[in-house]
This record gives sequence, structure tokens and C-alpha cells, in this order.
Amino acid sequence: MAAALQEPTTPTFRDIDRGVLRVMDFPGMAYWIWIAFCFSLVAIAAILWTRQIYEGLGVTGLRQPVMWAIYITNFVFWVGIAHSGTLISAILYLFRTRWRTAVYRAAETMTLFAVATAGLFPMIHLGRPWFLYWLLPYPNERYLQPNFRSPLVWDAFAVSTYLTISALFLFMGLIPDVANAREHAQGWRKKFYSILALGWQGTDRQWHHFAMAYLLMAGLATPLVISVHSVVSWDFAMAQLPGWHSTIFAPYFVAGAIFSGVAMVMTLLIPMRKWLHIEDLVTPWHIDSLAKIVLLTSLVVSYSYATESFMVWYSGDKIEQMTFHMRYFGPWGWIFWVMILCNCLIPLVLFSPRIRVNMKALWIISIFVNIGMWFERFDIIAGSLTTNFNPAQWHFYTPSITEIMITVGSFAWFLGLFSLFAKFLPIVSMTELKEGIGFLRQAIRKGSSTSA
Amino acid sequence: MTLGMSAAMEIIGSFADEHLCVRGIEDLHKAQVRNLRVFYPFPSHRIEHAMGKPKSKVRLFVLIGGITGILTALAITIGTSWEWNLVAGGKPIISWPPFIIICFELMILFGGISAVTSFLVNAGLPAFESKSGYQSRFSEDRFGVVVKCDGADSARIEKIESILRNAGAEEVLREAA
Repeated sequence: MAAALQEPTTPTFRDIDRGVLRVMDFPGMAYWIWIAFCFSLVAIAAILWTRQIYEGLGVTGLRQPVMWAIYITNFVFWVGIAHSGTLISAILYLFRTRWRTAVYRAAETMTLFAVATAGLFPMIHLGRPWFLYWLLPYPNERYLQPNFRSPLVWDAFAVSTYLTISALFLFMGLIPDVANAREHAQGWRKKFYSILALGWQGTDRQWHHFAMAYLLMAGLATPLVISVHSVVSWDFAMAQLPGWHSTIFAPYFVAGAIFSGVAMVMTLLIPMRKWLHIEDLVTPWHIDSLAKIVLLTSLVVSYSYATESFMVWYSGDKIEQMTFHMRYFGPWGWIFWVMILCNCLIPLVLFSPRIRVNMKALWIISIFVNIGMWFERFDIIAGSLTTNFNPAQWHFYTPSITEIMITVGSFAWFLGLFSLFAKFLPIVSMTELKEGIGFLRQAIRKGSSTSA
Repeated sequence: MTLGMSAAMEIIGSFADEHLCVRGIEDLHKAQVRNLRVFYPFPSHRIEHAMGKPKSKVRLFVLIGGITGILTALAITIGTSWEWNLVAGGKPIISWPPFIIICFELMILFGGISAVTSFLVNAGLPAFESKSGYQSRFSEDRFGVVVKCDGADSARIEKIESILRNAGAEEVLREAA
């Protein structure tokens, strides 16, 4: 099929089906070793969390005044990662951006698992996680209700809505594809896909309502994605702490979320297209388009850093200025400069069209962006808490092995779930590639004239 | 494959191309043949336009879902504020600006759930029986036009088959309905 796909005029519908369904062939030993490795790390994290629940938050490095650190950093990081999936699947769908068709399923899958990972952290962060339900309003004998003026309650509503809508959106888009997979599968897989396909056969009646529901879901998900990270940013911006209390936070966080999320899509897609042999479906043209988004959002994020610093200087607020002085030149100053290097300087090489189609270079850049964006969140959250209003309280946080291993476990959890999905469900949308087959042929034509 | 005459029959035209399928649908409509079912492997605005269906009712359900979400959010936020009647931060008991955020989130949540459920209900899913005339190729790379007609009316059957062939169907089959 590869030979056929390299011919510019001929990715046929059947070629697309074969290319995607081949990915779902029974996996080899290397795949199972990878899955076992991921879930072993998850098991270690689960054991450490169990110990934390049993012994209390003393096993973490959290001490006054730094009571929010790596766990909340992970929460914000993973919610941010999720955002690019919705950008690609919903916002670019509304704009009828054709290059999204090959990459949106992977990005949307990433969204679901990233939100599912993010949702664990507020729970892990609690000393008594079994009282998580106190965030939700429910009739109780104490007439005690959550405070709807608190951003933490907004967050509970925003993130749970985001998880639900992302799952529904992904599931809806999957229905026609698993119906197609059902026609080719055997044994338990046929039963599994038949259940998921819900009896879909692609009749005019089914497509008619599907198209409208999908359009409306995209329309609903678009403002949702912007609201979710705005609400997450208000967890900080609504507080009066220097370094947090800033009106720029909502757009700054949304841009940062898309920046880190698209970088994570590249981190996953570049090796995936090689290992799963889908280079003919996810072409350098698609990756080039992702790289342009990374470049654009990097410039927005850099502008936000500059504006934030300017506002601190221009305000004349001594306490705010001290906080930022410590952020740039304090004991954790290196974190800030690593962040500037990874988020503002390294992505500038993406101005070069050659770099944007060089897969190895792009993968390395995407890793730097992921590191930079994690450090950004850590610097804002833990850095600002460290040097609060009262210098007598200042305390520099050191993460414990529990926090480090739970963080590593969260990456393993995310990668493990994503790998399971990629092998057992269509990771590239066959229906949308067929709908835009002309653009896919163009992409292959462009891809053959550029080095991959 | 030609089956013996029966009371009801389905003629299945299979097309390799979306444009030819659209032409087949338009030619059938011109010949006053309206009782069609079309199978196709990806969302096609051309086929949808040719079928001339009214706007999907899903829109209405999403609107109702969204409004229900806003009202639910107002009921929750105002109701619980009255129940837990405590002044916090010198703010009024009913502090409406933050309640807008809850209204917005529940509007999206209820609207989204309504979109998916109304799509499933209107599309007749989950379906436990296969639609007559369906072939697995219609989920892959072929477009199927299925016309239901009276098996005794051989003149009409031949006319429909001829329209489908002239429109470019690569295969025309008859099946008992």
C-alpha cells in the first residue's frame, strides 16, 4: 500500500482504510512490554499515593507557605495539554481547516486522557480525598453548601464538564470509524466494535443528524475550551498573592495551554507515525501546520511574559516587584531562565521551513516546550507561594520522592492509556480523511517534494 | 443476483463516486421516486443537499438542553446560597457574577449531552438489526442507493434500474425487502 500511497493521485478510500486498520493489527511483544512498563510505574505511584493517604500529607514536601506545588502544577499542566485536542478537533473544524483531519483523532484522544490525568491531581492533593464530593452541592442535614464565589468550585464544574464533553465528542466521532472497523474485524474485536458502533450503517438519516450534532458539539466545545483554562487561571488570579493576582492570566493561560498541548501532540505523533507506519496518512505537511501553531502560540506566550513583567515594573508595587525579582534572580531563578529558553527562544527556530519538516528536530523542540511549560506552571504556583507577603514565612519547597514518583506515574498513566487506544481503536479518522481526500492527495504531493 | 418476484422489493444501486451517487439521487427525484435510502462512508453535504431533508431536529434539543442547563445552574447557585445563608467576604448572598460561570458550564454540559442523546434518538441508534440493503462496502468505499418498490410492478423496477445505471451505478441488484 505504501507504494500506492506515494503516488500523488491514488490514496483511494480503500488505501485509507487499510492504512488505518493495519495499525490495529494484533500488537507484538514490544508493545506489551511498553504497556507493562507504563502500568508498573502507575502501580508504584498508586502505592505511594496509598501511603500518602494512610500517613498524611507529611510524606510530601508541602510545608507552609507552599501548600500548592507539584500536584497542582501537574493539574494545570495536564489541563493545558488537553486544550490543543479541542482546538484541533472543534475550533479548526468550525474553520474548516483541512489539515486537521489526519491529526484530530490523536489530539482528541490526548485531550480525553490528559483531562482524566489532570482530574486525579486535585484528588491526590487532598489530605482526605474521600471528601472530594464536598465540592458538589447536594442536600445534606447540615444545610452546608459549597461557596459558589470560590474559583475552586468553578473549577470542579469546568473540568468535569470538559471531561464529559471531550469524552462525548470523541465517542461521537468514533462511531462511523468503529462501524468500518467492525466490517473487517474477527472474533472478540468484531463484538467489541459492534457494541461501540451502536448499529451504525451510515444511512442518510444517520449522517443527517450526526452532521448537525457534531457541528453543535464543536460549537459548544469551542467556548468551553477557552472557559476551562480561564477558570483554571482564576484559581490563582482571584487570590491576592503577588505573582498570582493578575488580570492577564486568563488569555495568558489559554495561549500557554494551546502551546504546550500542540507540542505534546507533536511529541506523540512524530514517533507514532513512524512506529505505526502511518507516514502516508500523517504527512510532513500536517506536522508543519502543527509547528506553525507552536510558533504562533510561543510568540503569544513570550508577549505575555513581557507584559506581565512590564505591569509589575509599571505598577510600582514593591511587594510584587520583590516577588518577580526572586522569580528571576532568587534561588529558583534557573527555573525561570530554563522556561524562557524552552518557551521563547528555542521555538523561534520554527521560523525556518526546513526545521518545520525535520521530524527529529521537531520532536526535540516539542520536548523542550513540554519541559518549559511544566516549569512555567511550577514557577507561577510554587514560586509565588514561596515568597509571600511575610518574609518571616518564606520557605523553599523541596519535592519528596512521593510527589516525584506520582508525577512520573501520571505521565506513564497518560502514555499507557494513549498507547492502548492507539492500538485498539482508529487513531486516525477514516471518515474525515475520505471526506477531504483531495487535500490528503495534495499533502502527499507536497510531502514528496519536502524531506521528511 | 435476481430474486423471484415478491410483494416488496429493494433495488440497490452501488456507486464508486460521490458525484455519480448524487446524480442518481437527483435523477430518481426527477422521476418522482422519493422512497430512497442512501448509505455512504463519510459525511457528504452534496448527498445531503440532493436528498433535500429538512434541518435536523437536533438543533432544537440542544437549545432546550442549553436553556435547561442555565436554569439548573441558577437553581443550584441561588438555592444553595439561600440554604447556606452566610455572608462571606462582605458579598451579597446572591452574588450573581460568579454564578454566570456555573450557568455557562452547565449550559455547555446539558447542551452537549442533549446533542449526543438527540442524535442517537433521531438517528435510530442503537440499532440492533441491520438496515435492509446494507452492504459492508458502504462503510468503506462505496455509495449505496436503495429504492423500495412493489415487486409486481416490473415496469417501474426496470425504470429505476435504468435510471441508476444511466447515472453511473457500477452494480444494480434486486433484493427481497
